Amino acid sequence: MNLQRILTVSRKTLRSLRHDRRTVAFLVLVPLLMIALFGYTFGGDLKDVKVDIVNLDQGVLDHALGNDISLELRNTSVLKVVDYYGPGVQNASAVSSSLEKVKRAEIWACVVIDQNFTVEVLKGVFNMSHGLPVVPAKVRIEVDSTNPNIAAAIVAEVQKAVQRVLTERYGIVPPIGIEMSKVYGQDARFIDFFAPGVMGLAAMMVTFMLSIISFVHERSAFTLERVQTSPITEGEFVAGYALAFGLVGLVQSSVILGAAMLLFNIQIVGSPLVVLFIIFLLAVGVQGLGFLLSTLARTEFQAIQFLPLILFPSILLAGVFWPLEAVPEVLRPVSGFIPLTYAVDASRSVMIRGWGPEQVWVQLLILAAFAVAMLLLSALSLKRRG
Amino acid sequence: MDGDVVIETKGLRKQFDELVAVESLDLRISKGTLYGLIGPNGSGKTTAIKMLVGLLKPTAGHAKILGEPVPVRTNRSKVGYMPQEMAIYQDLTVHENLEFFAGLYSIIRETSRRREEEVLRVVDLEQSRDRLVSHLSGGMRHRVSLACALMHDPFVIFLDEPTVGVDPELRVGFWKYFAELKAQGKTIVLTTHYMDEAERCDVVGMMRQGELIAEGAPRDLMEKTSVSNLEDAFLTIARRSRK
Repeated sequence: MNLQRILTVSRKTLRSLRHDRRTVAFLVLVPLLMIALFGYTFGGDLKDVKVDIVNLDQGVLDHALGNDISLELRNTSVLKVVDYYGPGVQNASAVSSSLEKVKRAEIWACVVIDQNFTVEVLKGVFNMSHGLPVVPAKVRIEVDSTNPNIAAAIVAEVQKAVQRVLTERYGIVPPIGIEMSKVYGQDARFIDFFAPGVMGLAAMMVTFMLSIISFVHERSAFTLERVQTSPITEGEFVAGYALAFGLVGLVQSSVILGAAMLLFNIQIVGSPLVVLFIIFLLAVGVQGLGFLLSTLARTEFQAIQFLPLILFPSILLAGVFWPLEAVPEVLRPVSGFIPLTYAVDASRSVMIRGWGPEQVWVQLLILAAFAVAMLLLSALSLKRRG
Repeated sequence: MDGDVVIETKGLRKQFDELVAVESLDLRISKGTLYGLIGPNGSGKTTAIKMLVGLLKPTAGHAKILGEPVPVRTNRSKVGYMPQEMAIYQDLTVHENLEFFAGLYSIIRETSRRREEEVLRVVDLEQSRDRLVSHLSGGMRHRVSLACALMHDPFVIFLDEPTVGVDPELRVGFWKYFAELKAQGKTIVLTTHYMDEAERCDVVGMMRQGELIAEGAPRDLMEKTSVSNLEDAFLTIARRSRK
């Protein structure tokens, strides 16, 4: 080993970095972005999970425990009570309109406190102390279990609220039955929740890499320039690439989908074709993004530096592994700008909720608009000539 | 425009920031001419060609090819261009590259097959049709690049340094083919460093620091400067133009 020769290689490598200011900037910025994103996201607990409360409890002698529990639930930061229906309302219509909201995925759950809740609690306490058979007082939760973590968190919050009111405030431990009935995701496991996310993420990652590297290569090898002297239009060129990479994304998603079905027996309640179409739109848009960013990179080396900038926000903020409710409030608007958010949301709705295109049309429209915008901008960027 | 003039430029100029790459270039190149742009590196040959094929927008002046202003997409199928860089897909086979470029010009399959055989014969790559370009030698890749420029049988052909890295024997073959193309009425504009090669051109344009300092038949230029080869002619003219 000759130290001088080793140092010669090191010096050459550092020198070439010095000539590439962009890389130096990335070396500093990417870790900063990563620590900020991971720090905020992992630190973030579930917050503002949307629920409705239907409190039917009539109470006893002007006092209803249902009111206390509802108040407790409204004060937790985990839940966000969208609508509260007090005991005065039409029972059946409040429950059914709230349930409809769960079905439309506007809220995650509807917490129903029974009409005789206070009576049943008091009966329970009496019967327990007299050694008589006890029928637990009931709180029902109609929950969308598309995300098992969210469903579990809602149940836990209700349990905590009941406990706080009855045990801590009144010092009683009556039997309470929390009944959970799942509107969606009857047998959903965590893998069912994240399989659609991983599929979208994988398609996005590969399409982006292929696209940005291919276009940087098209430029650095001067093939793009040569192609531009032929009759092909900028739009045709961009569309040709989009079609190819869209298909690559499709094949890849099919592999993931197939493997997840075979190996993990994941749920696909809706149509796999709709899921594949969602991924196709995402892949087309992302390849356009790759094309646009390729105009900012002179070498493949610079191109791959864009990957963490695209990848980390998508992993952390698009709802792939953690629900959007776990994204800290300051970063939530960012989630709205990440196309993967819509692709994951839509494919999850199709796979677990069994929704069709008519229910995920908003997400489809956003993904299509993203794809069209990226393709148009790519074609326009090609038109700019020196 | 004369019916015969295929390429015409007037006051063509290209400036990159402070650097004037091409200055007031006036060209009139007739049909069936083999025109050579010669000059040292950085004299503006490639910039001039890139303006003519529509890759660079002139800072001033204008150019016409086949009577239509550049860049015009309708003309593109009549123009062939071989850039100085290889500009072919290394991860495709020779055949796949040729098929791709034929496709860009909407050439139908039968014609494409026939053309492929023809151009591969010219560049002597019939045996390498199915080899990956990345597995070929530098000279062979250059030949593939030329073949790609000729696939759509263009009327006007721009070749930027077509013979660099090509062995002498094949270079002779290239020039024979250029002469054939010329005989078919095609117009060829090429750039070259090799002055001995340039003597085979009908007309040469000598460029220095972005300007066309002389133009004419090689023999006329040599006679005018009383020298026996084009290289000396260039040096003499360059010296005079400096004064």
